[in-house]
Amino acid sequence: MYKLYKDLITNEVNQVIKINGNQKTYIPFDSENSDYQEYLKWVADGNKVEEAD
Amino acid sequence: MALSKILNASVTDSTLTTTKLATPNLGRRNIIINGDMQIAQRSTSETGLGASAGYFTLDRYVMYNGGDASAGRYTMSQSTVTDLEGFSNALKIDCTTADTSIAAGEGLLLQQAIEGFNVQQLKATSTTTKAFTLSFYAKSNASRAIVTEVRTSNGTNRQACKLHTIGTSWARHTFTVSAASSMQIDNDNSSEVQINFWLHAGSTYSSGTLSATFAASNNANRAAGAGSIFASTDNTLEITGVQLEVGSQATPFEHRSYGEELALCQRYFTVLADGNRSTSEAICQGTYYTANILFHTVVLPVQMRSKPSMITANGTNYYITFANGSGDHHDAIARSGNSSKSVVEITAETNVAGTGGHACFTRIGGTSADAKCMLDAEL
Repeated sequence: MYKLYKDLITNEVNQVIKINGNQKTYIPFDSENSDYQEYLKWVADGNKVEEAD
Repeated sequence: MALSKILNASVTDSTLTTTKLATPNLGRRNIIINGDMQIAQRSTSETGLGASAGYFTLDRYVMYNGGDASAGRYTMSQSTVTDLEGFSNALKIDCTTADTSIAAGEGLLLQQAIEGFNVQQLKATSTTTKAFTLSFYAKSNASRAIVTEVRTSNGTNRQACKLHTIGTSWARHTFTVSAASSMQIDNDNSSEVQINFWLHAGSTYSSGTLSATFAASNNANRAAGAGSIFASTDNTLEITGVQLEVGSQATPFEHRSYGEELALCQRYFTVLADGNRSTSEAICQGTYYTANILFHTVVLPVQMRSKPSMITANGTNYYITFANGSGDHHDAIARSGNSSKSVVEITAETNVAGTGGHACFTRIGGTSADAKCMLDAEL
């Protein structure tokens, strides 16, 4: 599952976390990043990301 | 040759042929990174693979499946080589669960993707490519047919493929792709060329005919004739000495130092700390931004290909931060969104309890080998 993540200082959502058990991958909003490309495809397939805390 | 021989000898024009001049033993020929399988930052062995794609062991080598899932499973490892001069390691695929009922869309391929910045030397002009040669050493438990595929994407989608028969002793295999026209290879950090080793292929990928010269992308023509590594649990395949170079001949494998090869790999993947190496391994230094929030800055050893993802794990007391003479166990670290390709900010806030303004340093917390901090900018 994916969950949005807020910056601790600005409180802006600026990355997304891929969560698999206790393993987390923090993914930048960067079109060159292949994890982010995979996330965008996952969203395009109709999946919904969990909102940030 | 002795110096006296060089000073006194002469070479007649007729003995200098284009072929001889076209194979200078110069450095920086090999476009492949980690061709001699020395670097394995993630892991040296992973078992039970086959359900999903991914980078599992040796740096820069990714495993892909076809569109249909195979029941076949395998172990991927960095093996020790004792019977091939000049090499100490190989990439080994060992079938652990057989799958003899091959659905059309099944596939298993080992790939190294190459970013555009690193393949510009393949271009003759902006729309043509030179001849280039892929070479590698391989051996198997029994005679095995595999297909190598050179694929271009992003710029122009093309493929060229060759069938190889791998024997039970180490042998070098080569594949020269002729110069081609109507080719575009973008000069950027995206995946422009992919080197594929097909180890298992259903009819979707194998029902056509291989083309050794660049041809339009066509799945059916990608792996015709390839055998299946999943045919038996006896099956193994080892590959090393992978080289891709300009020219129509395979020159001797270009050995680079371990440090150089590691630095090349770190553009794509960097391990800052791994609890499997030590449960108290250092990660970074920083400061208590507030009593309950940590910020650390890590200047990376190599600028990464893209802004990296950060892979970590969380759990009770997985990390510890030291400041002002005492340790503060906490449960998780995170990547700051302000991180760049060269500098990563690492934060923590879960169960953090310190004093704002204190300088600090953070380690894996001594409790779990699962704790980690790894950066991923792979293609």
